[in-house]
Amino acid sequence: MALLMKTTKFVESQIDTFLDVVSDSGTLFLLGVEDYLQGRIDQFEERLEQIRENEKKADDLRVAVERYLYERTLIPENRGDVLAILENTDEVVDNIKDTLMQFSIEMPEIPAELNDLWVQTTRASTAAVEQLIFAVRSFFCDLSAVNNYIHKVYFFEREADQIGEKLRRQIFGLDIDLARKSHLRWFAIHIEQISDYAQAVCDRLAIYTIKRQL
Amino acid sequence: MVFFYLISGLFIAWTLGANDTGNIFGAAVATRMLKFRQAALIAAIFISLGAVLEGSGPSGTLGKLGSVDALGGAFTVALAAAMAIFAIVRAGIPVSVSQTIVGAIIGWNFFAGKLTDFNSLFTIAGSWVTAFIVSAGVAAFYFYLMKLWINRSSMHLLEQDMLIRYGLVVVGAFGAYFLGANNIANAVGVFVPVTPFKDIQVGQLFVITGVQQLYIVGAASLVLGIYTYSHRLMGTVGKDLFQLSPATALAALLAEATVLFLFSSRALYRLLLSLGLPTIPLVPISSTQVMVGAVIGIGLAKGGKNIRYNVLGKVSLAWVAAPVMAFFFSFIMLFISQNVFEMEVNRPLVYKVDKSAVREIERQGMNIDNLSFVNLRSFKTERELFHELVLDDAYPPEEARRIVAICEMYPLQVKMETLHGRGLDNRFSQEQLDALQKLEERKFNRRWKLDKALAEDPAWQLTPEPKNQLEKDRNADLKEDLAILYRVFYQPEDKR
Repeated sequence: MALLMKTTKFVESQIDTFLDVVSDSGTLFLLGVEDYLQGRIDQFEERLEQIRENEKKADDLRVAVERYLYERTLIPENRGDVLAILENTDEVVDNIKDTLMQFSIEMPEIPAELNDLWVQTTRASTAAVEQLIFAVRSFFCDLSAVNNYIHKVYFFEREADQIGEKLRRQIFGLDIDLARKSHLRWFAIHIEQISDYAQAVCDRLAIYTIKRQL
Repeated sequence: MVFFYLISGLFIAWTLGANDTGNIFGAAVATRMLKFRQAALIAAIFISLGAVLEGSGPSGTLGKLGSVDALGGAFTVALAAAMAIFAIVRAGIPVSVSQTIVGAIIGWNFFAGKLTDFNSLFTIAGSWVTAFIVSAGVAAFYFYLMKLWINRSSMHLLEQDMLIRYGLVVVGAFGAYFLGANNIANAVGVFVPVTPFKDIQVGQLFVITGVQQLYIVGAASLVLGIYTYSHRLMGTVGKDLFQLSPATALAALLAEATVLFLFSSRALYRLLLSLGLPTIPLVPISSTQVMVGAVIGIGLAKGGKNIRYNVLGKVSLAWVAAPVMAFFFSFIMLFISQNVFEMEVNRPLVYKVDKSAVREIERQGMNIDNLSFVNLRSFKTERELFHELVLDDAYPPEEARRIVAICEMYPLQVKMETLHGRGLDNRFSQEQLDALQKLEERKFNRRWKLDKALAEDPAWQLTPEPKNQLEKDRNADLKEDLAILYRVFYQPEDKR
């Protein structure tokens, strides 16, 4: 009994750490984008490096949890669902890293008048990620709260879409090269997409929650 | 020869292992909460413990097959029952082992010309419905409790999983223990009076009695049944009938344990009685029917859409088919055993309507005028005499039964040594044993004569008109004790 209890507690802590890493990555992404917009490139690169480490850590944690769940045949009924949640949540981190890395590689020139909308879009997207983490934690510990958080994720995803659309309209309203407009649009879409990923995880989470409820 | 006869008892034990373990651990294995080998190991340990530690002393004492009065008959009846169970189990359907045995015993009754107590038969048939419905209700109740816990609890999913897993193991282990304790007598109980094993002294520590060794062998066969065949039935209960989740599997298992306890606990029965509360009747119910009822109860509580009614139909049909098959197998095999292998399948009792019987019939307040056409005649079977008595409505069936019992010639000789030798004396009170001691070496040619002689002592006196349940229970216990004496003190003329 003690052994199983120890394993259970260990896997619980691994899952918690994984979710902490994803949550941190969302916050780091917002701070990284702000640094980039303010021209603090060195600090931006540090954030990117931290996100890279987080992404690797998240991968390792996910694999470790998967291995434990299968080796110890824990939660046989929900194992597949939990693994799908972890894998999809992990993709959110991958997406965050990829987007920020593209900033570092391509160094898009963002006109200062777009800063506010750019930050707002990023905030809405990262808020969706934050609410996703609450939803996932609730899936494990408080089923009745999951739907509230899912609702919030949907809200922030819509918010990110709306502000993102406004941002893209402003980009194409600027008097700059079409190539640059196209370049900036690509980045705007990628920031919006982070919330789309969060929403996709929530779509599955909603089903898994129904499955888990008796 | 006893070793040869024992084979059929071991076959029954094997079918018990194959059939009943599926009821206990089927849901846990089907939901992957336990691996088959884990479930089999737990079942093997606890069934063996139950069989060896408690199997020698359940209230049914010598098991249902005890009513079959010759060893050759018990062998054949057990073999017939085991074959019927095996045929159904092969199709992956769980059956009631005890009800199938009853089917085979009725086959023996018909073959040996014995009267069948149809009231008991109706009680058993009624218990199919009762057990099923009560179990479904109890399981639905547990399901709602479980639902409340899962949906409202702030416990981590993994911790919930761990608790459910422990619940399945603990309740399953209890179930296995009681399965061993209550059912091993069905398999090898009939061999208790003739156990071929001698007591083994283990150093100066303890003695393994012959009866315990018999139960150990029975338990070993049961364990073999678990490992070789029970996996076939595990899916039927946990998956085919209705897809259970680990939590609902626990609800079903708890419901099974509760219902089996409610309907079989004498302690609870007496407690309710002493508190003046309405009692739950102690009827023999099948763990298979209880488990299937529990699964259906949960299915209905979840809306009833996902229950596979075709599987339920198949399972229900098998419950009727198994005792009927056992009846026919038993009848045919008894015929073969008696006529081809020249086995003694029933005791050669005769039924004489002589002067002493007529006096007793009169003493019991029955009309003796209608006895003229059977007076001073001998009958080879109960049924022959019974038919003569009920012909032209001379006697109502109930009275005719009593007359048959009075006329039965059943040679008995009180020998305390036999009682001690078989380790059966520990179920009697000291007063009862003292009364028996006074009759040492006395011979009786009818059961009721022994009853009468014993009734001179208050310890053996039946309450003539029991007014309350306690008195009724005491009478039932005394009758059970007397039944043991009949079996133990039976002494055919040529052996006297």
